[in-house]
Amino acid sequence: MEGGIPLGSTVLVTGCSGSGKTTLCMQFLFNGARKGERGVFFTITEPLFKLTKNLEGFGFYDKKLIESGMVNIIDLRIISERLGLDAEKYTVEDAGALLDILKDIADELDVKRLVMDSITALCYRLQTREMIRDFIFKLGTSLAVMNCTTMLTSEVPPQTFKFSQYEIEEFISDGIFFLGDVERRGDLIRTLQVIKMRGTPHSRTKFSMNISSQRGIELMPLLKSNEFESFLKR
Amino acid sequence: MADAVIEGIRERVTAAIRVNVSVGIQVPENRHADLLEAIFASMCKNTHDMWSFVTVSKSYDYLKKSYKEIEQYQNIRFIDCISRAAGITAKHHTCTYIESPGMLEFIVLELLNSFHGTKPDTEKFIVIDSLSALMIYNDPQIIREFITLLMNRARSENIHVISILVEEEMDSNKIIQMNDKIIVLRDSFID
Repeated sequence: MEGGIPLGSTVLVTGCSGSGKTTLCMQFLFNGARKGERGVFFTITEPLFKLTKNLEGFGFYDKKLIESGMVNIIDLRIISERLGLDAEKYTVEDAGALLDILKDIADELDVKRLVMDSITALCYRLQTREMIRDFIFKLGTSLAVMNCTTMLTSEVPPQTFKFSQYEIEEFISDGIFFLGDVERRGDLIRTLQVIKMRGTPHSRTKFSMNISSQRGIELMPLLKSNEFESFLKR
Repeated sequence: MADAVIEGIRERVTAAIRVNVSVGIQVPENRHADLLEAIFASMCKNTHDMWSFVTVSKSYDYLKKSYKEIEQYQNIRFIDCISRAAGITAKHHTCTYIESPGMLEFIVLELLNSFHGTKPDTEKFIVIDSLSALMIYNDPQIIREFITLLMNRARSENIHVISILVEEEMDSNKIIQMNDKIIVLRDSFID
């Protein structure tokens, strides 16, 4: 990508479990914080202690950035509890209230980078497809005026070339990063592909993605020779 | 006599790699150990150069035991592609372990990472031991692609590449032709 993600964009980071979505988003926040851009990570899937424990092994992780408030990690389930919402099921009003709170937090902290992990888990708490659709479009509208660069993670089943669970999430996103894997003789190799990124020219090739404890996410063009064969097998 | 042969191989490889970006060395199986000894001698002698040695045929643990001096040198880094696949869980600060010899992109990544922070005037060298062993775990077509990627990255970063081919594995014969220079070592004399 030439010059990185354009400021203020919303990127859907999509992939199956274990594809590296959370690590990618965390590295995005910590790297931003080092450049003076405050960030917030909203989680609805993992408890805070577990998230931070997993981060401790990475070279990009810096506890001081959390302590100084440059990186904020917030559990949405705790916020729901404090708002008196049913953490498992949201009504339209609940979802609206939650969205307002998210916006207020982001404004108050003056964040430049925001992550929501995951939009799939959040939408799972909504009862109907219409509610999900309505919530996602409202979220899109809110993010558009927030003046911060956002990553929304989206969970999809393994070995599928699908960007989201509800097939609406991609329409509010300026960019889509697809994290997948290819199997090569029994080895699973993580991959990353930028499907779209509005506002900047970018490569659409598939990269192999390494998650290094020292260096975090690393990319190298994926060797293509076996890919067609693996696609046919699939 | 053996020392003289090893010294001869060392001089030949050193001379070739100084003037060519990539050198392929075709060696019979029974001379493989001599070639490794010659290469390690070169690495230890030129401490101002930076070397990354990719081992696919023997584990780093084994190399350390066989060539005791190699772990003392700060200018030599190892990338072991075979230990993890063989269930060996050893760790060493001068060695990076790749999960599987099939994860070729990660070998390139680790090679490039191993040269991070080196001074601009440092000569950088990569040794792949061996293309034949990589062929056991990968299809020939993907090895060709891997070598092409590696050579292109190496050329752009001024890194010299030495790739070893054990002669008995003639399937990989075409791949070694991708090098700028090919040295063929014979059973009884240096060709």
